[in-house]
Amino acid sequence: MTRESGARSRVSEIRPAAYGLNLPTSFAIVSRDESWQRGTMVESRLMHGHGRQRGNEIEAVDTCDERLANVCDAAADAARALVDTLPDAQVRMRVRAMREDDAESVETTITLRMHDVSIVTTPGDAHRDYELLRGLAGSKPSAKLAPLPIVWRNGSAAVLLHEAIGHAREHGAAEISWPAWLTVEAPLALRRETFRDVPLPRMTHLIARQSGAPFAPPRERIDIQLVAGGGYDPVTDVVTIEIAVSSVGAFTMQRTRSEIAASLAGAVGEPIRYPGVICSREGQQLYVASHAPVMLMDALP
Amino acid sequence: MTSLYRKWGRVVRYENGTTIRVEEAGEASDVEGVFEARPMLWEKGAQTRVSVPHHSVPQTGVPPPQTSGDLQQVESFVAQTLLSVHSCIVERLIVSAGISTHETNGVTWTEESLRVHLSLVKGRLRVLVDLASFDLDTIRSAAVALTRTGDPREAPPRVRLAQNVTAALLPALVGEIAIEQRGGGFDGRGLPIETRAVTADDPPNWYRPSYSIRPRRAWLNLRPLPFGSIDESMPQAVALLAPVIGTNLHVLCIDGDDVFPTELRAEHVAAVSGGEPAWYPYAAGSFGAEMML
Repeated sequence: MTRESGARSRVSEIRPAAYGLNLPTSFAIVSRDESWQRGTMVESRLMHGHGRQRGNEIEAVDTCDERLANVCDAAADAARALVDTLPDAQVRMRVRAMREDDAESVETTITLRMHDVSIVTTPGDAHRDYELLRGLAGSKPSAKLAPLPIVWRNGSAAVLLHEAIGHAREHGAAEISWPAWLTVEAPLALRRETFRDVPLPRMTHLIARQSGAPFAPPRERIDIQLVAGGGYDPVTDVVTIEIAVSSVGAFTMQRTRSEIAASLAGAVGEPIRYPGVICSREGQQLYVASHAPVMLMDALP
Repeated sequence: MTSLYRKWGRVVRYENGTTIRVEEAGEASDVEGVFEARPMLWEKGAQTRVSVPHHSVPQTGVPPPQTSGDLQQVESFVAQTLLSVHSCIVERLIVSAGISTHETNGVTWTEESLRVHLSLVKGRLRVLVDLASFDLDTIRSAAVALTRTGDPREAPPRVRLAQNVTAALLPALVGEIAIEQRGGGFDGRGLPIETRAVTADDPPNWYRPSYSIRPRRAWLNLRPLPFGSIDESMPQAVALLAPVIGTNLHVLCIDGDDVFPTELRAEHVAAVSGGEPAWYPYAAGSFGAEMML
């Protein structure tokens, strides 16, 4: 896990909760992955291939699907034009055009990095997130780390719940009790990063909502703005969250799911789109759109 | 650097119940600071009249590497592994056998590789095994130790580290003990890998784990140079319970009939065995040799 691609999640386990999920017999992909520094492209990768599943076997070859290639190239052209308008950030754009059985999709993600802090965005939100990053990256802590209540802003609580609820479900972890005011939508689907990969049950997105859990921000508190990464360990049931930008600077939090559930004290407002979660499991990195309201967590010892 | 790098590869991989056969070829270039990588036609290429010692390379065209027999080899090893570790929960098992042909800077060479990644769980403990051979003995030892483990203990004052443990630790010991880069084969830019003392200088070779990854300078195939003597009566750390962080190790340790988890700090290496080391897939290659802390 690094900060290079926004909030990343590292998890380790097999035991996929795959039963009942649709397993495509055919997966084709064309992707372009380009990195830019100060407006100059420094790395460019084209990848294409096709995986065909028969029972528990996959035959994977790097053939190119011309239709997907055209779709990918068109989206990449648009993304490059957007990159030109984001001059102050290191930028990585990744376009993935895919076909699973008969269902085609295209996904463009843009990773922006400034002052060793990165976020992941999509073309529609790129300029707004660019300004957010410009405002937050490099900001100085206003206090020292202390056992204070934590306010998760900018939808950052979505990363916490991505690990504590989403990944736990992926691994079939035992259900625990969460606050009644919290509902989390985190559907699973069999997803893979490339034609070489085995599809795994992964979140498609995560949306956390609150109902009737108002709180007044404590005067003494930690405000979390951006998250660098996180992980869930199914053996120990411990969630790790690495904070990138907060009122006390960067720090790491490690707690069990039960401790996290017991510490959630309130939330306000509608779900806020967090600027990006690139989720890595079994080495496969996938984008997971994530939303959560501003959330309050009791002080952790 | 403007030289074109090409790679043709086939691999059979077992991954947690699914077997995947991959065939692909790709090329990469690094021109005026821009690294580009793309797939290429399997038949594309190639250099001719190239021969590399110890490798079989046809004289005309780059060979499509074959993997006949690898599927059975992988499946057989998977079956033996699962039988050997039945007393533990298999959290993850990834086994692969592959062959790849590389071409760059006028050199062509072929490599075969075996890889095993195994994660075993017992209670709240997880043993990690990474191998570059189908070595059932190491796997059995790790599984037996995990099954018999007791409560955690303080680190023993003196402890031996098994080969598979030292291999993971070795990259963190550069500058702490005498280490050499063991020669043989070619690096990611087609340069010969020569035996050299590892120093603080820039490494002479380049590490390229995939055609789509920009090569970087690295010391390859680290090997600790032997010194001192190992006290065979000391407890032995036989398996990793977590990835090595710096020189901190969380390991399973055997002392007589007792097996226990413990945390070690490898700050003072007292001896390195002169026995034949084994190669492990840590960092850019690492030879494990028994050590004593």
